[in-house]
Amino acid sequence: MGIREVYKGRNIDEVLELLDKYRNDCRIIAGGTDLVVHLRHKRLNPKVLVDISDIEELHGIKKEGEFIEIKGATTFTEIVKSNLVNKQLIGLKEAAKSVGSPQIRNRGTIGGNICNGSPAADIVPPLLALDSTVLLKSKNKEREISLEELFLDKGKVNLKENELLYSVKFKKINKNQVLSFSKLGLRKALAISRLCISVFLELDKSKECKRVKIADGALGKHGVRERKVEEFLLGKRLNEETIEEGAIILQEEISHRLQGRLSLPFKKEAVKGVFKSAISKALENLH
Amino acid sequence: MKKIKLTVNKKEYMLEIKEDTRLIDLLRDVLGFTGVKEGCGEGECGACTVIMDGDIVNSCLVLAFQADGKEIITIEGVESEEEIHPIQQAFLDVGAVQCGFCTPGMILSAKALLDKNPSPTREEIRAAISGNLCRCTGYNKIVDAIERAALYLKRGK
Ligand SMILES: Cc1cc2nc3c(=O)[nH]c(=O)nc-3n(C[C@H](O)[C@H](O)[C@H](O)COP(=O)(O)OP(=O)(O)OC[C@H]3O[C@@H](n4cnc5c(N)ncnc54)[C@H](O)[C@@H]3O)c2cc1C
Ligand code: FES
Ligand code: FES
Repeated sequence: MGIREVYKGRNIDEVLELLDKYRNDCRIIAGGTDLVVHLRHKRLNPKVLVDISDIEELHGIKKEGEFIEIKGATTFTEIVKSNLVNKQLIGLKEAAKSVGSPQIRNRGTIGGNICNGSPAADIVPPLLALDSTVLLKSKNKEREISLEELFLDKGKVNLKENELLYSVKFKKINKNQVLSFSKLGLRKALAISRLCISVFLELDKSKECKRVKIADGALGKHGVRERKVEEFLLGKRLNEETIEEGAIILQEEISHRLQGRLSLPFKKEAVKGVFKSAISKALENLH
Repeated sequence: MKKIKLTVNKKEYMLEIKEDTRLIDLLRDVLGFTGVKEGCGEGECGACTVIMDGDIVNSCLVLAFQADGKEIITIEGVESEEEIHPIQQAFLDVGAVQCGFCTPGMILSAKALLDKNPSPTREEIRAAISGNLCRCTGYNKIVDAIERAALYLKRGK
């Protein structure tokens, strides 16, 4: 490792200053649960590291008017423990709970999960289904973009070299709405998820889908919103038939997207069960 | 080189470290706490588990400079000079130690659990040690041992 300088960031301004100064030579480190593994395999070779894991302003989950804001260095353990991540947001809590192991959840952060850009990042699908935005800060600037726009390609995010992911925001969820999550892992406790789905659902009085948003992980180059399935379900009642038909549309989407991949036959089969489980978890948690 | 200050097993250290040193290397090679084991080096096995500010972490994934100002507990800090810790006693009594490679990490995960939750269910115990792999015991004995340790600790009070 050719690391020449390391800084333990004490506040945001100091971090932004360092990022601006060192630019491409520099990397942020939060929990290190992705980065230290990349360093070990020499997939990355930064000269400078800036630790943000102990900056208080980058931790926590709070209400901001009609939004909930999760700060960039908030750990999975903090998400699991938060009261704001309530019954309606069960999918966010379950996604955080499903990550790695207690040790990984104590260190791994939401910002690291997003910025590492893995297709299998578990916290991403629930955040996509919530239509989240991300607040990115640099020395003299800040910008807010949708989370969806942040993902460019596998392992590639739309983050400038001097930018910090400051927070993730989404609209508070109402009593008649719910977010669910379902995941298939290869091993029970430890597995980068091979497949997960999150569903945001609101039914109207006649039990028809008033709002439905579906996102999945490990079924593309990054987390993906499944708009074809959403469009199909919108305005329909969720019963065995419509759910089955939704699952078939999802399978078609995936066949298209993962064409030629060895994992396709397995994923195409598996996705059906995970989709149905995510939908039924959503229905269970609506009242 | 980078100067850091941290507390390990209640003792404070001021150290100069190389920038890319991992916490596990600092604990084992510089400070001699060889109860911290390196298995996979990638966060998968939990052999390198230590308690940092009250929570378990994989010391193979923490860079030493990140631990500046932190309080660390390794297995060496769990036992006192005269006697072993009730959790260790329970592991021995139940026969939850075979080759012993996973044991320090297991005991620290158990300690972090019992410090926060003195009467865990078996399910909670399993979840708490889910980041610690054991190739030998098949886990049941370890869960038994942690259940028993909870009793020992309550009796001791
Ligand atoms: C054993 C093991 C099991 C795992 N299991 C899972 C799993 O089940 N599901 C899952 O999704 N992931 C899993 N992971 C991956 C990893 O733990 C997560 O992706 C975690 O969220 C990464 O966060 P971190 O804080 O550790 O990131 P770091 O490793 O510190 O950083 C990752 C990348 O993001 C950048 N970065 C971090 N924070 C910011 C920020 N605020 N702004 C800008 N850039 C930033 C860093 O520069 C780096 O490039 C696992 C990892 C291991 C080792
Ligand atoms: S050596 Fe750290 S988790 Fe395996
Ligand atoms: S006793 Fe050998 S690995 Fe657990």
